Amino acid sequence: MNKIINPQREKTKSRIAWTVAITLAVIWVVVTVGPFIFMVVNSFRDKKMMGRQGVLHFPDPWYFQNYPDVISNGFFGYFFRSLFIVSISLILMLIISSFAAYPLARMKFKLRGFLYAGIVAMMSVPMHVTLIPVYQMTNQMGLINNLFSLLGPYVAFALPMSVFILTGFMMTIPSEMEEAARIDGCNKYNMFFRIILPLSKAGLSTLAIYNAVGMWNEFAFANTFLNDIRVKTLPLALGAFKGEHSQDTPLILTVLTLSALPTVVMFIIFQDKLVKGMMAGAVKG
Amino acid sequence: MKKFLALVLAALMVLSAVSALAESEKNIPELTTEPMTILLWDIATEGVGRTAQEDAVNRFMADYPNIHVEQIHKQNDTYKQDLQVGFSAKEGQPDMYIHWGGGPMAEYYKSGCVNDITELFNTYDHPDFIDAAVAQSTYDGKVLAIPFGGLSGCDIFYNKAIFDELGIEVPQTIAELEAACDKIKEAGYYPFSLANLPRWTGSMYYMYLVARHSGNAEFDAAYDGTGSFTSPAFIYAGEKIQDWVNKGYFNDGFNSMAPDNNDDRALLIQGAAAMMLHGSWQVAGIKNDDEEFYNDNLGVFRFPIDEEAQAAGVPQDVEIGTAIGNGFSFNCWLDAEHTQVDEEKLKACYVLATQYYNDETYNAIQVEGGNTPSIKGYENVDDPNNKVVIDVFFSASNVQLWYDQYLPASVTEVHKDMMGALFGLEKTPEEVGQAQDAAMAAARAE
Amino acid sequence: MAKLQGMAKRDARSTAIAATIFLFPAVALLIVYMVYPIIDTFLISRLKWNGFYTAEKINVGWDNWKTLIQDELFWNSFLHNVILMVCSILIQIPLGMALATFLDASGRKSNIFKILWFLPYLMSSVAVGFLFYYLLATNGGLISGIATLVNGKRTMVDLLGKNPHALYAVIGVVAWQYTPFYMVYFIAGYSNIDTSLYEAAVIDGANRRQYIFKVAIPLLGPIFKTACTMSLIGSLKYFDLIWNMTQGGPNHGTELMATYMYKTSFQKFNMGYGSAIAGGMFILITVIALLFQKVFVVKEDY
Repeated sequence: MNKIINPQREKTKSRIAWTVAITLAVIWVVVTVGPFIFMVVNSFRDKKMMGRQGVLHFPDPWYFQNYPDVISNGFFGYFFRSLFIVSISLILMLIISSFAAYPLARMKFKLRGFLYAGIVAMMSVPMHVTLIPVYQMTNQMGLINNLFSLLGPYVAFALPMSVFILTGFMMTIPSEMEEAARIDGCNKYNMFFRIILPLSKAGLSTLAIYNAVGMWNEFAFANTFLNDIRVKTLPLALGAFKGEHSQDTPLILTVLTLSALPTVVMFIIFQDKLVKGMMAGAVKG
Repeated sequence: MKKFLALVLAALMVLSAVSALAESEKNIPELTTEPMTILLWDIATEGVGRTAQEDAVNRFMADYPNIHVEQIHKQNDTYKQDLQVGFSAKEGQPDMYIHWGGGPMAEYYKSGCVNDITELFNTYDHPDFIDAAVAQSTYDGKVLAIPFGGLSGCDIFYNKAIFDELGIEVPQTIAELEAACDKIKEAGYYPFSLANLPRWTGSMYYMYLVARHSGNAEFDAAYDGTGSFTSPAFIYAGEKIQDWVNKGYFNDGFNSMAPDNNDDRALLIQGAAAMMLHGSWQVAGIKNDDEEFYNDNLGVFRFPIDEEAQAAGVPQDVEIGTAIGNGFSFNCWLDAEHTQVDEEKLKACYVLATQYYNDETYNAIQVEGGNTPSIKGYENVDDPNNKVVIDVFFSASNVQLWYDQYLPASVTEVHKDMMGALFGLEKTPEEVGQAQDAAMAAARAE
Repeated sequence: MAKLQGMAKRDARSTAIAATIFLFPAVALLIVYMVYPIIDTFLISRLKWNGFYTAEKINVGWDNWKTLIQDELFWNSFLHNVILMVCSILIQIPLGMALATFLDASGRKSNIFKILWFLPYLMSSVAVGFLFYYLLATNGGLISGIATLVNGKRTMVDLLGKNPHALYAVIGVVAWQYTPFYMVYFIAGYSNIDTSLYEAAVIDGANRRQYIFKVAIPLLGPIFKTACTMSLIGSLKYFDLIWNMTQGGPNHGTELMATYMYKTSFQKFNMGYGSAIAGGMFILITVIALLFQKVFVVKEDY
């Protein structure tokens, strides 16, 4: 008798739970959005007024000149170069890492354990260590001041983490699905494209987001390889507003706001894929 | 009347011909007529510096159409790292690059990336640099750089309105300065505005207190190993600073504030702080931020003297700062191992640095932007605040380059860490001195 | 029997070929851009050298490594890394999980939350460092403001300028920036769970909470462990925000292995010792990560 659930009480309980959850959710929105607003609001401030007004008050008056200033300073050049190199790097990285994760997750072969451990080890390579050797290589290849010099480092540095995550994702794919496909006459190569890749969509979108943000904001390699103003990427655009003794903070925030926009848009598009990703495939199977 | 005019004109023409002749007699090396490319690295990303420096390069290229100067503007905050990475490769090293003199210049030289230009400097024309600038461009008796950035002193900026309100006179001695601070503190203002996140700002107080207490003697001794960073002047400076911190002479949270964001300057402009010890570039900076405040309220005075030390015969004329601001060094070689000098390219770099940078056009832009070239004859400036800075500078018997540029790089880092710990009251003046001694000893051993 | 064995052999060989083909591009890139530099690092760690091509390279054997083992600053930095690691795992992962669970339970209609919650991750570290510089400012910052309100009198909180709270302040900011990533990661994990499992659970009479704790979370196990590994490695080689906010200060209170290595190599011109630090870092992180894998990640059966 005790075990019979009282639907009325359950409903009240659940309503309370939801109210609490939504309140917390809204508080968390303040925590995450507040700073974003800070960034945007301060991009509408006149640098000269910053000293007097501080940064935590609304600008008075609102100053709109920063945006035309940034845009006339070649912003779109920086922007499209970044877009170009990040897109290519990202696509290449996703292809190569899913290629690598497949055998690591779904095949038995001799060096599997060793390669997997090696990839985990590669995750622990600190980036600054590679700066000098990679610079020397890039120099020898004659790629200094060439946008494509970033391709190798961007793909390579995203690989270990991506392979690691994707391997984890692919391991959770039920082996029955593979069995079924094998009976249908799929070989190892078809299997990857027909079964494994579609089922890894959720993992791939996570990785796309994770790495796109990293590459989009990458500074150290770009700063080292690209000297010519005609090939510089977006994070280097900030340099034009930093002097030896001071920087133009509102202009920097303007650049940062403008550079964050595409990643926001991209997330809005991709986040939907995150949910659909695997479910669609799994239900069919 | 017409005749007279013609006469005047004729006279003028003769005069200009003579001066043109004088110009053509300039003693500068003859440059190659073959095509040549000079790779130049600077940090002129913005402002007056960029205008002046791009203009100098363009004028050079117009006069020598066969020479192309590839002028690269690097970002200041990562510049030292960029230079090091650049020098790590066989190819693609800059032929001519900016630095701040001091310890790093010596390091670049010892690593084979600086041409010795003593001979060029003694043979050919160059601007009449002030002695301190030549001294700071010299290492081990060799001239290694051509200054071009203008000098920077270090003085106390103050809010005249607060001083007037409290009836404070410009302090002449450290004791008077402390009395003024007490009064200011009591009235509810911060005596000093300080942004000590990068530590070289706090270092200014340390350097001046040491210099006032012992002239250059104790620092020089600590530097070459005959003395120590724990000698009386250093302990005095450390104790004074910690005493001032305890008395609340500095604004809250100074150890996590950054001067790059101009937050220290903002406290002064807002009227929250009465004084700020800072580099003379702040003259142009404050003027640019708030011209009204600048004209009505801003004053500058020199770091006050140590009366006791003066009575004991310690000179009180040391000025902290830099006489060269930025200097160009040259890195022109025929081989990757840097054993054979590329004389042709070196000459071209020398002409560019001495005759286009540092010429009248260049210096006029510099002065317009509030900088003072480190060349004799530029002592006379109109701006009253700048004049205080410059007068002090030109009359100072000796200029002590900022410790953080003067010391070897490894010691600089320790010095900066220690300035954070000293102001943060985490280490005693004694410990601060010992750490610097240890770093200095290690650097000397190399 | 023999025929069967032959087939197995042929199968093993075709697997090996397929594995090689699929792995080749990744392995090649990793060798060029990561294995080679790390070997180079170990070689340089036996030199006294400032990184300049034309400068003298002096072989000092294991001197740098001997110094490293006794270097208090290095071990202190390592300790900070470990604190950062523990805090990151304890804050970012549960929080990310909670956010993802909320989003999963409320479905499509909470998309707006998902987007807003993700914003911190989309801001570059420069912007984040800058922002918190002002929010944490002693004078006029948000924290001081709140403290003043709570105390009823003017209270100055110097979070970044004093030890030990500077480290915790920075850890908080790191958590703020990275939690959204784990949130998205767990959402992807939730979406991997077959909807039929939820339906089955409901038919069995389970409510939402029971489904989450009894069915979903155990199924997320592997994802959870991957997330921990990522957080672990990420924290142990962290550099970004610390560099933007405190540069390792005050008095090395927020010094991490990576900032220490960077300062040594690039600001003190000591590439040899900097490489030893980097090498030590690489060994420590790899060992910790592999141990973690061994202890917590049970070999998958497949």
